[in-house]
Amino acid sequence: MLTIILTGISLAAIYAIAASGLVVTYTTTGTFNFAHGAIGMLAAYLYRQATASTDFGGWGWPVWLGLIFVVLFAAPAFGVVVERGVMRRLDGASEVVKVVVTVSLLLALVGLAVWQWPSVSSDPEKFLVGTSWEKFRFGDTTVTGHQIVTVCVALAVAIGLRLLLFRTRLGVAMRAVVDDRNLVRLNGAKPHRLAMFSWALGFSLAAVSGVLVAPERGLNQVQLTLLVVNAYAAAVVGRLRSLPMTFVGALVLGIGQSLAATKLIGVNIGWFSLADLQYAVSPVLLFFAMLFLPSERLRAGAAKRVRESWRLPSLRTAAWGALGFVVAVVAATDLIGADPDRAGLVTALSFALVALSLVPLTGMAGQISLAQMSFFGVGALIMSWIGDDGHTVAGLIVAIAVSAVVGGLVALPALRLTGLYLALGTAAFSLFMTRMVFKQTRLMPGEQVAVPGLDLGFATFRTNQAQITLLAIVFAAVGVFVIWLRGSSFGRRLTAMKDSPVACATLGLDLTRTKIAVFALSAAIAGLSGALVNRSVANSDFELLASMNVTMLAVVGGVGAVSGVLFGGLLLGVINKLGDVLFASNAVGIFEFVKIAVVDLQKVAPGFIGIGLGANPSGAATDIADTYRPVAESRPALSLAVGGPALAWVLARSGTINKWTFVAVLAVMVFGVIPAVPILLRPIPGGRASAAGAFAIASIVVTGAIDWETLTASNGMRVLWMLIACGAVARGVMAIHGQFPHTGAAPQPSPDLVGIDRPLDRSDAIEAERVLGLTEGVLRGAP
Amino acid sequence: MTPIDTSAAPPLLELSGVRAGYGSIEVLHGVNLAVPAGSVVALLGPNGAGKTTTLGVACGLIEPTAGKVLMAGRDVTGVAPEELVRRGVVTIPEGRGIFPNLTVRENLQMVTYGGARLADVEATAYERFPRLGERRKQLAGTMSGGEQQMLAMARGLASNPALLFLDELSMGLAPLVVEELYGIVAQIARSGVSILVIEQFARTVLGVADYAAIMLNGLVRSVGRPADIEDELSAAYLGGQKP
Ligand SMILES: Nc1ncnc2c1ncn2[C@@H]1O[C@H](COP(=O)(O)OP(=O)(O)OP(=O)(O)O)[C@@H](O)[C@H]1O
Ligand SMILES: [Mg+2]
Repeated sequence: MLTIILTGISLAAIYAIAASGLVVTYTTTGTFNFAHGAIGMLAAYLYRQATASTDFGGWGWPVWLGLIFVVLFAAPAFGVVVERGVMRRLDGASEVVKVVVTVSLLLALVGLAVWQWPSVSSDPEKFLVGTSWEKFRFGDTTVTGHQIVTVCVALAVAIGLRLLLFRTRLGVAMRAVVDDRNLVRLNGAKPHRLAMFSWALGFSLAAVSGVLVAPERGLNQVQLTLLVVNAYAAAVVGRLRSLPMTFVGALVLGIGQSLAATKLIGVNIGWFSLADLQYAVSPVLLFFAMLFLPSERLRAGAAKRVRESWRLPSLRTAAWGALGFVVAVVAATDLIGADPDRAGLVTALSFALVALSLVPLTGMAGQISLAQMSFFGVGALIMSWIGDDGHTVAGLIVAIAVSAVVGGLVALPALRLTGLYLALGTAAFSLFMTRMVFKQTRLMPGEQVAVPGLDLGFATFRTNQAQITLLAIVFAAVGVFVIWLRGSSFGRRLTAMKDSPVACATLGLDLTRTKIAVFALSAAIAGLSGALVNRSVANSDFELLASMNVTMLAVVGGVGAVSGVLFGGLLLGVINKLGDVLFASNAVGIFEFVKIAVVDLQKVAPGFIGIGLGANPSGAATDIADTYRPVAESRPALSLAVGGPALAWVLARSGTINKWTFVAVLAVMVFGVIPAVPILLRPIPGGRASAAGAFAIASIVVTGAIDWETLTASNGMRVLWMLIACGAVARGVMAIHGQFPHTGAAPQPSPDLVGIDRPLDRSDAIEAERVLGLTEGVLRGAP
Repeated sequence: MTPIDTSAAPPLLELSGVRAGYGSIEVLHGVNLAVPAGSVVALLGPNGAGKTTTLGVACGLIEPTAGKVLMAGRDVTGVAPEELVRRGVVTIPEGRGIFPNLTVRENLQMVTYGGARLADVEATAYERFPRLGERRKQLAGTMSGGEQQMLAMARGLASNPALLFLDELSMGLAPLVVEELYGIVAQIARSGVSILVIEQFARTVLGVADYAAIMLNGLVRSVGRPADIEDELSAAYLGGQKP
């Protein structure tokens, strides 16, 4: 028994170190660093790299030098870089963006580590303290030297932090920032310096915990990261503020885990095995800690600086868009010859559908979820049970219903919570699902199930082509539904909740049911996506990192807009699957001189895309939409945008041009020519517009005449040439036209500011009439 | 009405044509204001006139969208507040200018970021306000309003400023305490420090001020000796905008 407790305490020591780092950074900067675990993991790898002997690919440094390098130099330096490069730009950003940016950092670092150290073994005997890895005996209890070292380090950290925060001017200033940032400046201190120090300190503490935990658990990128993620629970026990309570939380966590590991083996409640509870102590603790958290007081005051802005398409536009989307997807896949090659697009659409589930939840209601893939898993699981012997329609319906119920249940503790706590709570739910629920042999034998394809009687969806058609239709239908919802009274309530909970409370709007409903809806969409997955899925498909990926890319694409999450989901699918198909088999060509296989780049890319989010919180789709908006408003441009690709498709389908040529023509049209058409049509003197137009048409024809299939053997090279061609055509058109206007419309100011920093004009009146559903001309004063 | 005499030396603080606001809402529409060296200027005006915003621009917290901030003739527009503090510009902001979750002593420790030594800061503060000395271990937020304001003033005293900004010292305090605080302001002024004081209620401050400026709707409407400005003041508060 004593041994168990001692083991628990040494585990607690590690959690305490990690959690105190989190708390210090959070209190002084207001950003909760989800990437904390990944920093610890990276530090463990770096430390191993520095100290392993050269025979094992290391640098052979002595242990003390390795420690100093990692803990006192590399980790804090990285913290400073992250503060300067990323976090500083997030001042005033919404909680969703802050969460997504640190989550992206986590994903990027895990990707980086997987890429850099695909497989290394550590020799735990020699990992930290050389050969002095003795066991000490006291009576019949044993402790290892490592455990003693760990506990001593934790005590040192506790005392050190206490001294720092209460005895030094720097520490006093860090606490002062929490009270009043501006007053700190008026006293002559620099909050940015303090933030930088606090990030450096947090990263150092993460590094210490990573280096200490790795020898016990071995080196594995994802597991090490998630191990430190356990420390979130300890931090929440300390309400993200109090260091002593955080240490208490760590103690509960460590001892609980150690007890569960030894006492619960073979214990079952009914068929529900508790053997794995040791891995789920942290989510359970987090969950209970949240139940006892005091409700956050609603804070009035100046409305947050709103940096995100989205336009809502009308239902008619949405319906046309949906139709166009389905046709385009089906036509595009039809050109891919072999059915197995279409698998990438299936995955992409499936992710897009999960991402779509975030539009009502995050985009409209402003709630964050890091558990969408768990709902996806619930849907998949139910479909596999019920749909197994042909009842796939019933399976689909039950899957949607059960996911909705589970989603509603998750919302219950979330009712009182907002922003960050919600992100933590859903992360805990996701961990609990993968570690306990999906592990049950009764539920998922071998942690894997086969999900049957939908069978409607008159149509079955077994091939990839059929599956793509189905998913495209479902996505389009749900997308239109979501857009309709946004305009309904439910949607307005959601937006009100996001914009100002205070105002809702004072108006007596009861948000409880609204919140539960939106969670249920979102879970139902994710569950629907799981039920339609039509392949064999494994527990690892539903893990926290997968959910994080979906949420991140949805926000990156633009979570307020259906087109945004489509973009995000497709991006994820492309990165996961299409990239493999496109580049893996022939990474010759240009990507070889950079000596980074593109496949590896894919692991890192999404995280870095997410980190870039700080610059544009509305997501990429908004930017793209701004560029193409004039196209939608100009008839000739629109006909070219629809007719051009259709014609090219017919040519490709009939074999007149080959498929790579089709892709090239499409690229030149979409990126080079179509955005320029509205500009060409603007009247300017000189008559050069027709020359430019002729050039554009000639470029398309020339592109179509080139045989891209045989031009080069490498896909990478083809893509590069296409990009060059697009750029050249666009510039050529502009140059001939004689002026170089910005392609996109001038950035539209937020509609909320109309009348304040620009006058209300006719188009605003038309817009207002449309939004308010008035008959035409009421606001314009037309008869 | 006597305009402020600025012929001798450049004023220590001069705002010219300052426009500023919050987000897209402009609050100051071209403020002109000068604080001559060694004098006390009172900035008066009703709620929401833009007094605090003006101070925000002067101390560097708010960057003006147009216009200039000059200190002793030098352009300091856009200089960070922490830089200005090191050059002797001390601001006691509206509300209580203290950190409620730090102890009295830790609050004074923060003052040392401006360049003073902790021992000197403590000596000055406890000498002038013995009550702070008794409470040096107490959390500042748990002290009475008057004691909190004393702590805030202690920063003004101890950091040895050339230019001092005070925003509504009297807010929520008993007349007796207000009188005591303004006694200290007068004393600081006698030592040659230039002071810009913001107040709602003119009576409390006109006794110490050399000049008074009236602000209305984001503009300084008139400037003069306190005695000359009384009538206008009542018009400003009662009638709102003057033609
Ligand atoms: N942080 C802020 N965000 C948006 N508007 C603000 C902010 N602070 C002040 N304002 C607005 O600026 C205007 C001027 O405010 P300011 O605080 O400068 O007035 P004041 O003269 O100091 O008033 P008082 O005597 O009440 O302190 C007000 O209309 C106020 O609503
Ligand atoms: Mg004010």
